[in-house]
Amino acid sequence: MNIRIILLFILFHAAGFAITVFAQEPLNPNWDAEKIKGTRYIPYPIYDGFPFLNDSWLPGKIEFASGEIADSLYLRYSSFKDEVVYYNEAITTQIVIDKASLNGFSFTEKDGRTRVFRKQYFDGFMKGDRYFEVLSDGETDLLAYRKVILITISPYKDQNNILKNLAYDPNYQYYFYSPAMEYASVRMNLGALLSKFDKVSQKSIKKLLRKNRIKITDEFSFVYSWKLIEKEGFKVAF
Amino acid sequence: MVVAMTGYTQEKAGFALYTDRDVYVSGETLFTKIYTPEGNPARIVYLDLVNQYGVRVTGVSLEIKSNQANGFIQLPDSLGSGNYLARAYLKNTSGKLKVLREIWISNRFDGREKTSEMKRISGLEKIQEQRTGKIEFENIEANYQSNSNIAATIRIDETLLSEIDGNLLVSVAQTEPSFDAASFIWSYNQGKEGITENKGIILSGTVTDRKTLEPAAGITIYLTIPDSVPGFQYYQTRKDGRFYFLLEDYFGAVQAVVQCFGNTPVQRLKITMDEMFAEVGTLPEYRQQPISEEFKRNISRNIDALTFRKIFGQDKLEVEQVAIKQKEISPYYGNPTRTVDPQLFIDLPDFTEISRELLPGVKWRNYNNEPTLQVINNNMHNYFADNPLILIDGIPIRDLNVIKDMGTADIDRVEICQYERYYGDLRFPGVVAIYTTKADYSSLPTSDQLIRMDLETIQLQVASAEHVVQEQTIPDLRQLIYWNPLAEPKSAIFIKCNTSAIAGQFKLIVRGRLKNGTLIFAEKQFEVK
Repeated sequence: MNIRIILLFILFHAAGFAITVFAQEPLNPNWDAEKIKGTRYIPYPIYDGFPFLNDSWLPGKIEFASGEIADSLYLRYSSFKDEVVYYNEAITTQIVIDKASLNGFSFTEKDGRTRVFRKQYFDGFMKGDRYFEVLSDGETDLLAYRKVILITISPYKDQNNILKNLAYDPNYQYYFYSPAMEYASVRMNLGALLSKFDKVSQKSIKKLLRKNRIKITDEFSFVYSWKLIEKEGFKVAF
Repeated sequence: MVVAMTGYTQEKAGFALYTDRDVYVSGETLFTKIYTPEGNPARIVYLDLVNQYGVRVTGVSLEIKSNQANGFIQLPDSLGSGNYLARAYLKNTSGKLKVLREIWISNRFDGREKTSEMKRISGLEKIQEQRTGKIEFENIEANYQSNSNIAATIRIDETLLSEIDGNLLVSVAQTEPSFDAASFIWSYNQGKEGITENKGIILSGTVTDRKTLEPAAGITIYLTIPDSVPGFQYYQTRKDGRFYFLLEDYFGAVQAVVQCFGNTPVQRLKITMDEMFAEVGTLPEYRQQPISEEFKRNISRNIDALTFRKIFGQDKLEVEQVAIKQKEISPYYGNPTRTVDPQLFIDLPDFTEISRELLPGVKWRNYNNEPTLQVINNNMHNYFADNPLILIDGIPIRDLNVIKDMGTADIDRVEICQYERYYGDLRFPGVVAIYTTKADYSSLPTSDQLIRMDLETIQLQVASAEHVVQEQTIPDLRQLIYWNPLAEPKSAIFIKCNTSAIAGQFKLIVRGRLKNGTLIFAEKQFEVK
């Protein structure tokens, strides 16, 4: 009995002492985190097609230019304007995040797939910072610029019976990228892929794809092929 | 309890504070090296100087890298002669643990013969250092002529090298045999711990309601650091009225403005900033001790030496360039839709005229001396119903009377953002940023709700400038002839320096810390004649 009392006494004082040692003042959550800067999202005009890459808010995170990461955000990537929009729950507002303040962002699709976007300067036509989706990350990256453009189509009437002749149309562009050689545009087919390698390598690559029974028909098979080719050590001739 | 006590013991182990010398003259520079406890995540260590009456005289905040920090304190010219305590502490453990080092400072103007007694610390736990035989000195003579070269080698045993934690401190300085200074651990319990400054300096304070004198909760408080691209932070006070700001990448002297606005137009608030340095608290016990004649003579000699050094500008410090992380590339209030420079146009007497003639999309009205300002929303093609964010030199204001009399001569440029801007959870319905020609913030009325501060943020790294012989007739009167707080531990460390014109006992000292927290040192004394 005496031992129990002594043990309880020690435990009581230990708890008190530990609390004193580690007690700190309470702070607001994320008080020292970098704040997101942006402007209010103004809805785009309604046309046929869809200006966003994802049709709903997806959980994701952003990386600030300082390297700091903010997560637990709900994001949408606007392919039309090449900007990332987040939903600020505290003030119930959709905010377009300043591109200059970010290094990139990522979000998780409903099927659990994480899509990573990286801001990079593009030196080709329409120079400037762009968000590229990183399809493959390595010595040479395979990037996708998920652009949606407005095209003129035959006149049609929208839901409100207003006559229109514009539509959002995906115009995705794909690039091989290495920091030293910069960008090399590529289309999602076998011919375009092979054209990025020298003659000697082309034969070996064809053989490699045949051996693995890969037929390039879409983006998925292209990315898979490229990962296989890169693994075998073939280098892109920019 | 075991966890807590182990943590506390670990905090104490290896916490050390060294100074370049023990005896100083007011106006001199005190160099320091601090080893901070391993495992403490703090990035900042504070060093301050407290006099024997418990008054904090000055202080600096130093950046910890690899559990060590180094810096300096410029001793004010006005310090009275006597014992002082250099204190080092981390804010998160400052309530329990500090390292003290006794130093003596003589006043440059009246400190010579007046002092007959000194107070020395008694009854405190001295920081134990182990003299090591695994560090040896080569090519150090017993005697040197003044103004001669020293080229010594420090040999470190291979078995010791693998145990050394961080860098070594190597110094060559004049010693004062009659004042044997020591470092002490000052541990006690002052209750609540401070916040861990693992990212940078934290500014804190309290907002109270002036009417009720109660802490004001839910008040948005702003911190602005004016610059070419102003820094800005905000914090919403909690129930206890407390607020915190992080100064992460600021170095040296920084101006800051802390302000808040009431939730209603009639609410009056008061901001009280916390002291950046820890309270002095209770002092250790002192005992009186007579001052020897030799010590008095040395004080006089030191005063003369410093006076000459001051006259001939030999007390220079070289500031190392810090690779400062780019904080902001564009202002937090966004890129302006338009920027107007009123100086390019005819002189206009006040802001009414400027807004009318030069600022399209800005609606300024001044009916019955109650000015209002609205900005057009370019996206919606109408004016925002609310007042925009109005800034003077980057600092938010709400009282439009401050700008109403500003004419062309007062305004350098006006930046206008004609869209809705967000910063965290703050919404700005347009922005009007006025940059004044004076840029001295004199137009901002200080009050209980707006505090301007001159902050000393993380100290820039400095090195004592090498002595350069300018004229043969000007004597070199340095008492510290070598100081390297970041010596890389290796089997042979070469030291090159020159003795000065000061004669007396000098010591070459190597100090370090082992991975188990043990503090080690080795020294070699020589005389300059």
